[in-house]
Amino acid sequence: MTANADPMGPDPDAERAAAIKKFQRRDKWRRRLPLLPALLFTIVVTQVPFLFNIWFSLLDWKIVPPRGPDFVGLENYTEGYSNQFFHEAIIVSVGMTTAAVLLSLALGLGLALLLDRQFFGRGIARTLLITPFLIMPVVAGLLWKNQIFSSSFGVLNAIVESVGMDAVPFVERYPFWSIVVVLVWQWSPFMMLIILAGLQSQPTDILEAARVDRASKFGIFSQITLPMLRPYMELGIVLGAIYLLQVFDQIDVMTGGGPGSTNVPYFVYQRSIGGGWDFGQAAAYSILVVIASIIIATFALRVLSSLFQRQEPA
Amino acid sequence: MWSIKDARGNGPRVAASALALSMVATTAIAGSALAQEEREINVAIVGNPQMEDIASLTPELFTAETGINVNYVFLEEQTLREIVTRDVGAGGEQFDVVMIGMFEAPQFGRNGWLVDLNTYATDDEGYDVDDIIPAVRDGLSYDGGLYAAPFYAESSFVMYRDDVLTEAGIEMPTAPTWDQVADIARQIDSEDMAGICLRGKPGWGDLGGPLGTVINTFGATWWLEGADDTIGEAQVDQPEFAEAVSFWVDLLNDAGQEDAANSSYNECTNQMLDSRAAMWYDASVAASNLEADDSPIKGKLGYALAPTKLTDASGWLWAWSLAIPQNAPDPDTAWEYVRWATGPEYLAVAGDLLDGGWATVPPGTRASLYANPKYQEAAAAFADITLQAMEAAPIDMPGLQPRPGLPGIQFVGVPQFQDVGTRCTEQISAAIAGNISVDDALSACDAIASEVEGEEW
Repeated sequence: MTANADPMGPDPDAERAAAIKKFQRRDKWRRRLPLLPALLFTIVVTQVPFLFNIWFSLLDWKIVPPRGPDFVGLENYTEGYSNQFFHEAIIVSVGMTTAAVLLSLALGLGLALLLDRQFFGRGIARTLLITPFLIMPVVAGLLWKNQIFSSSFGVLNAIVESVGMDAVPFVERYPFWSIVVVLVWQWSPFMMLIILAGLQSQPTDILEAARVDRASKFGIFSQITLPMLRPYMELGIVLGAIYLLQVFDQIDVMTGGGPGSTNVPYFVYQRSIGGGWDFGQAAAYSILVVIASIIIATFALRVLSSLFQRQEPA
Repeated sequence: MWSIKDARGNGPRVAASALALSMVATTAIAGSALAQEEREINVAIVGNPQMEDIASLTPELFTAETGINVNYVFLEEQTLREIVTRDVGAGGEQFDVVMIGMFEAPQFGRNGWLVDLNTYATDDEGYDVDDIIPAVRDGLSYDGGLYAAPFYAESSFVMYRDDVLTEAGIEMPTAPTWDQVADIARQIDSEDMAGICLRGKPGWGDLGGPLGTVINTFGATWWLEGADDTIGEAQVDQPEFAEAVSFWVDLLNDAGQEDAANSSYNECTNQMLDSRAAMWYDASVAASNLEADDSPIKGKLGYALAPTKLTDASGWLWAWSLAIPQNAPDPDTAWEYVRWATGPEYLAVAGDLLDGGWATVPPGTRASLYANPKYQEAAAAFADITLQAMEAAPIDMPGLQPRPGLPGIQFVGVPQFQDVGTRCTEQISAAIAGNISVDDALSACDAIASEVEGEEW
């Protein structure tokens, strides 16, 4: 940052001070100016629609059958708040996000520890392990559904049948866990990448010192490596949770909703353009979700970081 | 999920338009000739075999004659409904022609979303609108207006492997009851061949269709009729409804196909063609594919009317039909396509050009098809019973009690049914998969159906 004039300097001449102030203000704006298009763009594409959404949530507005828009105040909120299927969707969303984030974090940590070693073909192994993260969510969902889980063509069921058991329609019978498996498969590489970055930034002298002091391998891992990975894992959890709360594609192509697989985004989609055509109600749901996620996210982040801080070694 | 097939014959067309362009430029005549030359329409249709057939024949039979390029967008049934409702209802202009069914046509017509085709159809002598089977025409009309032209129409019936039943020493009655069909299915069910294939995939038009006819004939209904065009009390918590749903779920568990909760029309077609199911209760149009020239089970099938329990007839009535949205930019060009695709000429020539032969021509829409000797010969096994089933379809009184909305058999003719039926069948499908119990599914279903009680339709 440049400072063209020194505003702290004592100046008896009031006019001069005013001129400097004016110059400063203009200078500030001159610096902001290049940012303005981006800022305006961001406001237009995120905040304006959100304001519209708040307005829609106060209307009774359906396309099928055509009705409204009529102003109904907070009716959509009170109705939404007490809807049992909305509650079920929240439970699925929370459960699915927690399960997928924690499992992919654990798996990602394991893979990162393996990849941190020196071995022949490490580059290839790393590339292969990252691949699932690069596959489009819709493709991943279809791939798992039709080629792995399917009871007619699935690899998994071929194995199940080869040991003499009956084929299991995994996706239909266990929709929740089938989707979690696909999410973990896709998101473990992401966690792995972040944790691997943490592992490779470890100062080697500390590890060496620990080894000289005859610290056990587990001791080194739990006392030095893990605490050092804390910020990386926190980042992974936060980013993973943000993305996984919004999961839609895999659910749409694998189950198309239903008990155990309709999460909040899918539910809101069904209430709006996905068959319900109730725009007011759907808008109210989405705003309830925004409020809830702000509260939970703030709370969860605090808990999380204090939890990790307590484990920090002396 | 969706693919775009481009059905234009590009090479000569480009040359022709270039020629037209230069002529217009040199003679300075206004652009009407040019507009004629570059006509193009977007058509959204469901990806069933008969639609794929017509798409493959469009360049040679339609575009070559009229110069109109047709861009097809194939969609899954459920996706098609969403996109069409969004496009037509919210005033989009993405499609010139959309494929809809008997559920949508009268409702959309009532909402003023579609072009009334009556004037087009009656003014056009070559179209021969009176040739359309009356029940089908009625089902696509509202208040005197015809809002969609039928591409193929169907009732529902039982298709069974005659050879398998004969071997087991079982005879199928021509008008069986559900108890008889269930008994037979359980008897012939074996390791390699399921006793019966039934839909289990969520969706009011998927699982909801055939299950809807069972609900009717078991004496149940989704809702009672309400006063002043409203939806009455939900009846999903009644014992008859539970009996119908349990019957379906139990039959699938005992004698149904593999992966039942994920099966719909296309999956069951494949099960039958692969000889992995011995019976199938579904749309009558399916017979066209099972009896096609390239079908491995051609000639091995028998047909029986839709099974009943408390009502006299239970078969459904449905027509996949072409409609023109009210805000389509050029309805005249769109009509040219609709008249070709649903007119008598396509039915008269398609049989000779299709791989599957005459049996695979879109059935159920026109009396002239059933008078065509080539069709009579190829479709001998199922043509008569298809017509019989369509005539028997109890469109005026599908169950034991009056119900809200416009006429409908396997669906309730109220717009709310689309959402309720789909969410409810998600629950029932989960019960078929064993993910939740039938009781849980029904109580969730009752809550869903009760949400719209008292609403206007």
